[in-house]
Amino acid sequence: MEFLKFFERFAIPNPSPMIYGSMVAIALVSIGIVVGITYFKKWGYLWREWFTTVDHKKIGIMYLISALLMLFRGGADAILMRAQLATPDGKLLDAQHYNEIFTTHGVVMIMFMAMPFIFAFMNLIVPLQIGARDVAFPRLNALSFWLFFAGAMLFNLSFVIGGSPDAGWTSYFPLAGNDFSESVGTNYYMLALQISGIGSLMTGINMMTTILKMRAPGMTLMKMPMFTWSSLIANVIIVFAFPVLTVALLMGTTDRLFGTHFFATSNGGMDMLWANFFWVWGHPEVYILILPAFGIYSEVISTFSRRNLYGYTSMVASMVLISLLSFLVWTHHFFTMGQGALTNSIFSITTMAIAVPTGVKIFNWLFTMWKGKIRFTTPMLYAVGFIPLFTIGGVTGVMLAMSAADYQYHNTMFLVAHFHNTIIPGVVFAMLAGLTYYWPKFFGFMLNEKIGKTTFWLLSVGFVLAFFPMYITGLDGQARRMYTYSAATGFGPLNLVSFVGAGLMAIAFLTIVYNVYYSFKNSPRNIGSDPWDARSLEWATHTPVPEYNFARLPQVSSSEAFWDSKKKGHQLFTGELKDIHMPNNSGVPFIMGIIFFIAGFSFVFALWVPAVIGLIGVFVCMALRSFEVDHGRHIHVKEIKEIEEKLGGAKNENRPHETSRV
Amino acid sequence: MKIDHTKPLEYSTDQNQLNILGFWIFLGAEIMLFATLFTTYFTLQGRTGNGPTPGEIFEITPVLIETFVLLTSSFTIGLAIHAMRLGRKKAMLTFFGITLLLGLGFLSTEILEFMTYYHEGATYQTSAFTAALMTTLGTHGGHVTLGLFWGLFIILQVKKRGLTPENANKAFIFSLYWHFLDVVWIFIFSFIYLKGMIM
Amino acid sequence: MKELFPAKQVMGFIFSLVLTVVALLVYFMDMSFTVGMTILLVTAFIQAFLQLVVFMHAGESKDGKSIYTVIYYGVIIALVTVFGSLLILIWDM
Repeated sequence: MEFLKFFERFAIPNPSPMIYGSMVAIALVSIGIVVGITYFKKWGYLWREWFTTVDHKKIGIMYLISALLMLFRGGADAILMRAQLATPDGKLLDAQHYNEIFTTHGVVMIMFMAMPFIFAFMNLIVPLQIGARDVAFPRLNALSFWLFFAGAMLFNLSFVIGGSPDAGWTSYFPLAGNDFSESVGTNYYMLALQISGIGSLMTGINMMTTILKMRAPGMTLMKMPMFTWSSLIANVIIVFAFPVLTVALLMGTTDRLFGTHFFATSNGGMDMLWANFFWVWGHPEVYILILPAFGIYSEVISTFSRRNLYGYTSMVASMVLISLLSFLVWTHHFFTMGQGALTNSIFSITTMAIAVPTGVKIFNWLFTMWKGKIRFTTPMLYAVGFIPLFTIGGVTGVMLAMSAADYQYHNTMFLVAHFHNTIIPGVVFAMLAGLTYYWPKFFGFMLNEKIGKTTFWLLSVGFVLAFFPMYITGLDGQARRMYTYSAATGFGPLNLVSFVGAGLMAIAFLTIVYNVYYSFKNSPRNIGSDPWDARSLEWATHTPVPEYNFARLPQVSSSEAFWDSKKKGHQLFTGELKDIHMPNNSGVPFIMGIIFFIAGFSFVFALWVPAVIGLIGVFVCMALRSFEVDHGRHIHVKEIKEIEEKLGGAKNENRPHETSRV
Repeated sequence: MKIDHTKPLEYSTDQNQLNILGFWIFLGAEIMLFATLFTTYFTLQGRTGNGPTPGEIFEITPVLIETFVLLTSSFTIGLAIHAMRLGRKKAMLTFFGITLLLGLGFLSTEILEFMTYYHEGATYQTSAFTAALMTTLGTHGGHVTLGLFWGLFIILQVKKRGLTPENANKAFIFSLYWHFLDVVWIFIFSFIYLKGMIM
Repeated sequence: MKELFPAKQVMGFIFSLVLTVVALLVYFMDMSFTVGMTILLVTAFIQAFLQLVVFMHAGESKDGKSIYTVIYYGVIIALVTVFGSLLILIWDM
């Protein structure tokens, strides 16, 4: 059975009962899904409506589902870590498995949960907010999603085939080199992030072009809704930051697969160069995550304070400033790496400076709420909870920014507390607020308010219990990424509190699942298309939003076009109906995703023949696209009229406006 | 598809304008890609391990050939676009073809250059310096190679379907790509080769 | 025939050739490293700018402003990355 030796490379180097159990579960679920789809004869439907779609709304839904699934994968990692650390000398996980888990937790939460979550909202909302029919490059948009999906699937495969990466989500060399990371885990890291990163870069280009060129007549840049502004700026950052990661990952890959000496410890290699490039990308990355979150908060706070957003111009200016400054601070992630005081001083100053525009935004949100008619809906609760919690995270950031002081805080639990304190109230709360806020637009029913509020409170209390103790244990000396500690350190009690907090957070996330189920079964479906009495153009569409978004393109004259049309009688939709041009579906993005997955997997295991064939396949698809002639199709006026009739007429054509207030 | 006849063909539809802006933004991303490669090179250029230094392997002759060939090809693609705007399809295709031939000349010289390096003991795996050098030159050369195929595909499409708004758009975008590659080469020429030979 | 060789493009090409030759002089003549590097920096950036404006027609459409913003932004961040990294890893290490 010589040829069976070929398959030995796919074995897990460090198996455990949990891993074996997961393999079984994954196999069963995968088979179950395939059998189920076949049994219900849904392959045709899936191919036609989802796998080949270029519709931004459907692509947004696919990103959303992916993000929610990955949230649970990353969350499982988190619970395991907290359980292991709940008591001194915990025996749940050994060091190797702990390392694998904190690595995958970080990569999954940032790259495969938070990024797709924000891409989901950008895709779902931006074209509607600017009054467009789709993004600038619908086919490219589909490709972006399938590349993300291929990267995510490749990464998730690692812990059952070949072994997880275990060098941290930052994958520093020389630890990530072949000498110290002998399994293929780090190869998975390099290739999965490379593939999904290419998708992200494409989205950056796509969204920038869309926002710059496809706004409705009358919508100047300074009349755009704030979520669209935040998306524009975030995508600018994506365009300039991701290429750095692309090169760094390439060099990391060639070091591991082809024996180059970029980051090696011999023949002139410089391991610190990896850390440098990782953070040149990595710091802008966190602003990519937070800016769209800020955009969601702007929409939510303004709607539920029943007031225009305060300080529009300074909101825009602060984001522009943040985008530039975000590229000037990266060294604060490695103040202790050995560079001189001059460097550390410069980057301390720039890091502290970037807190200023963020502070401006916080004040603008508070002023928006001041003297507003506040409705404490679930999305508003998240926004209101965000402000104090994020501010605490922000000020601990200023503490960390002082490079001399950072020698004490670096890589302790204090740091872990800080970044979770900004990401969870900052990004995760915003995503949940956005999910609740936009749910009725895309699914036709509201999520239950009582359950939603329960989720918010459980999550907030759980978050504080889980992470605030880490500030204290970090200052007391508990290091980051350590799989255990002794009772003599005294870290025990607070780590137990953390574990309780994590448990509450887990329950909170489960209540979201329950909410979806409960609301699907019980929520009324007659909520109209503007259930929150909102302010911007995405709410001027029907629910469900027709394929072409708007039967007539809206005429805009203020930064709150929909609100003004409701309250001041401004006509949004005038003129004759015309045939609408729409892009055709295509199977090529899905197929390219598969090809990238195969190529990526082959590179991970140094299977050169399929790897090269895969690469050639990518270029063949590009060549076919070059020669392709596809002029799309037209939706004719007759069909538009039928759809509009069915959905209840266009908004604001001299009809009494229907809202159901919550 | 609405065609605006007051604009040059490559700008004449909405999608055309989107494509051109989108490609400029892509070039912005490519600036950062090459900036990262240059950073790698400048950081690692002195770290030669057991292998040769830049001064020991760089030679002026192939560099001169590559530079003048690529610069001229940038000129000829500009002439091709100009001919396209005049509606002179045959002239456009001729200049396009010359551009690609010059590009092929550039690549051949570069391949010979790499082969010489290998024989002199400067391989991909030799040192940090050689890795950075070959990855930077190789990424640029890889872009040129992709360009040769892309340009050929455009020539074939113009020949088969004529000068349509779509083909004109593709040809113009290709010219942006080709000019950009020459801009990158200017920096390679100045700060890798020349700098390496005067240090 | 003459219409196929527009003056702007021809002048641009000749100017590029001149800039390249000036850069080459740095190699062929024996200059100090600082002087040589300064000349290379100047010629490289001028030639790059020339390509951008004359050959690539960066400003010719109504998206010209966006295009220039993108390019300037990219160049600034590129310079920050290059020189910042050199400072961190070499000059101040």
